[in-house]
Amino acid sequence: MASRPAISRLCGTVSRGGPAIFRSGRAVGLLLAGFLLLGQGGLAAAAELEERIALCTTCHGAAGLPEDSQVPIIWGQHFYYTYVQLKDYKAGRRQHEIMSEIVADLSKEEMQGLAQHFSEQAWPATGFRSSDRDVAQGETAASAGQCVQCHLGGYEGNSRVPRLAGQKASYLERTMLDFKQKTRKNAPAKSSLLASYDAAAIVAMARYLAGM
Amino acid sequence: MRKQLSLISRALGGVVLTATVSTAALAGETGQGTLYGDMQAVTQDMLSRAASDGNNFLHTNANYDQTRYYPARQINTSNVKSLRPAWIFQTEIVETMETTPIVVNGIMYVTTAFNHVYALNARTGEQIWHHKHKMGPITTYCCGPNNRGVAVHGDRVYMGTLDAKLVALDAKTGKQVWEQQIADPELGYSETMAPTAVDGKILIGTNGGEYGIRGFVKAYDAESGKLLWTFHTTPEDSAGVWAEKDATGRDMHRDIKAEKAALKALGDPYKTLGGGVWQNPAVDLETNRVYFVVGNPSPDLDGSLRPGDNLYTDSLVAVDLDTGEYICHFQYIAHDVWDLDAVSPPILTDVVNAKGETVPGLLHGGKTGHVYVHDRRDCSLVRFSEAMVPQEDMWTLPTAEGARMLPGANGGVEWSPMAINPALKLTYAINLHQPMTYHVESSAYPAGKLWLGGAFKVIPSEAQWGNITAVDYNTGKIRWKVKTEQPMIGGVLATAGGLLFTGEGNGYFKAYDAETGSVLWKFQAGAGVNAPPASYTVEGKQYIVVAAGGNTQLNYKRGNNILAFTLAD
Repeated sequence: MASRPAISRLCGTVSRGGPAIFRSGRAVGLLLAGFLLLGQGGLAAAAELEERIALCTTCHGAAGLPEDSQVPIIWGQHFYYTYVQLKDYKAGRRQHEIMSEIVADLSKEEMQGLAQHFSEQAWPATGFRSSDRDVAQGETAASAGQCVQCHLGGYEGNSRVPRLAGQKASYLERTMLDFKQKTRKNAPAKSSLLASYDAAAIVAMARYLAGM
Repeated sequence: MRKQLSLISRALGGVVLTATVSTAALAGETGQGTLYGDMQAVTQDMLSRAASDGNNFLHTNANYDQTRYYPARQINTSNVKSLRPAWIFQTEIVETMETTPIVVNGIMYVTTAFNHVYALNARTGEQIWHHKHKMGPITTYCCGPNNRGVAVHGDRVYMGTLDAKLVALDAKTGKQVWEQQIADPELGYSETMAPTAVDGKILIGTNGGEYGIRGFVKAYDAESGKLLWTFHTTPEDSAGVWAEKDATGRDMHRDIKAEKAALKALGDPYKTLGGGVWQNPAVDLETNRVYFVVGNPSPDLDGSLRPGDNLYTDSLVAVDLDTGEYICHFQYIAHDVWDLDAVSPPILTDVVNAKGETVPGLLHGGKTGHVYVHDRRDCSLVRFSEAMVPQEDMWTLPTAEGARMLPGANGGVEWSPMAINPALKLTYAINLHQPMTYHVESSAYPAGKLWLGGAFKVIPSEAQWGNITAVDYNTGKIRWKVKTEQPMIGGVLATAGGLLFTGEGNGYFKAYDAETGSVLWKFQAGAGVNAPPASYTVEGKQYIVVAAGGNTQLNYKRGNNILAFTLAD
């Protein structure tokens, strides 16, 4: 794997994976089983995927809970949402200094393998607690946007729509602001909707959703 | 040995009831297998005669005319106060429910969100089988993981799925017989409507008006699953007649000159123009025609990328049942930029036209808050009703900052099917009053992602409510209206017992006097009752059945109940 100076800057030394990955990685196990049937090439691909997963955990957390406030939880996130985001990074529809570099040489199969792996992990508890005020203001703001129509009851998402419940408040806030300010451009409907919210409403929604 | 006996044949309120009962059923057989009849016996004759069948409920909207008028009258205005729960069945999925229970010879088929199907004993509520659709990883849908039920034909039940498949199941076992991929879910296609079974064909449309799809209605062979025909709801020349006024004659403030210039520059937008069909069509067996209404253009709020009338979005359309060939259409809103699409399933019934002649008619409840009355021979408009909800500042164009206009984008009448009482010449619609602002912001087609061309926002400071409205379809006048505390979504059932049944988001399921609107009975279901009710008769007892699972779109309390009611002994 090529060196990742930018990644090191943000998240520290890149891990090279290890047994823990296999303990939690049914996708990798299945991939390995499949690849065994395919011979050496398949084994190499499975090992490569393992290495990719290890790289992801550097920022996204070995147990699914990222340390950096701006890094989202991806354990338990829906397969298709994660896959689309990886595709969008690769195609330049979504941009991020670290992620854009990481996905640059990923194949479709690798992106799907990563998305599948993380979708099969349990969503970690953050321990975040919303205040009554967060809930009241956040619920009112989210109702105005009819957010459950896509994110569903409990904000657990489905397929191409991400889970928001229990996501990190700081990441949710940053993401909504990015949509509002059009620094994130890969979901135009989100940009249009969030353009109509002020910063206070966005903070309230982020804290309301993070506490679910 | 299961010898079939035809045991019951008696008149019930003027309706001849016949039921086939097995000896095994009489001995109290439970579990797998036939309980009250032969589950394989859904013939075209049964489907065609459903309007006078007081035992079964064979179509999502009761019959091919989609009247939702049930002929049994054992439960009626004088005794409905004695209606009590007969049984409650709880499904595995606690999420939005929009299913209409289908009942065949004492066997009930219901569906849930995420495409589970259950076969139940309609007398006891006991489960016979449970089928979970093996959902693909890619689904794209707006407004909830809904399913509105199955179609029945022969020895099979048919369901459309969120991953855009049509599946055929064995009615006795729930095992899948075949499946067909209808369209690509990655490009925004999904299925939530119940299919329609007719003449050996399974008819089904598509969702996707929020994703830049090209809408259609398709017909599949019921036996083999082979595609027989496709009618695209957006023709290659979708520009139309450049209509400046809506169906009611109000100016829609179109900039025709700019649109014509855009058409020249961009070409016809039909490939990503939307036009979903996500409610059942009506079938006119006499003329061999299929009538359906077509949803909104894509993107919903931004007309700049889709110049022209955007045919046949927001329209009533008729096609030939055998070939899918176009017969006629009527567009309610040309170049819609408010998502006020045509959704509620059309009803076929005779109507009186302006000359006082009785003609074959068609009714559609609009998101605009009008009931539209047509002459179905040529799809022409006979009249439109008084507005059932407040209309303000129509047609104010959406703006970047958001422009207020009533009704909001959910209606008026949403997808909720209406019902009629043909004796009273009344149609019953449930409505929403949900003030919204309409925001426009242009963006390029995002290839399968949500593509609204802006946003809709509910105005939190303004009151929301709903109503049930009875409209005289021969005059367009409102006969009565009952206000509800929440916007209404779900559907209506009328019965020959002079009753009307519909539920509310607050959990109340109510019976009304069809003539006056008086509330005669109510039951608290514990979750939103936002699905269309049905009725059936088993062993001489009439039942009313409804799902109480709440609603994703309006975020009403979720549940997982199928509730069947009958008169107390």
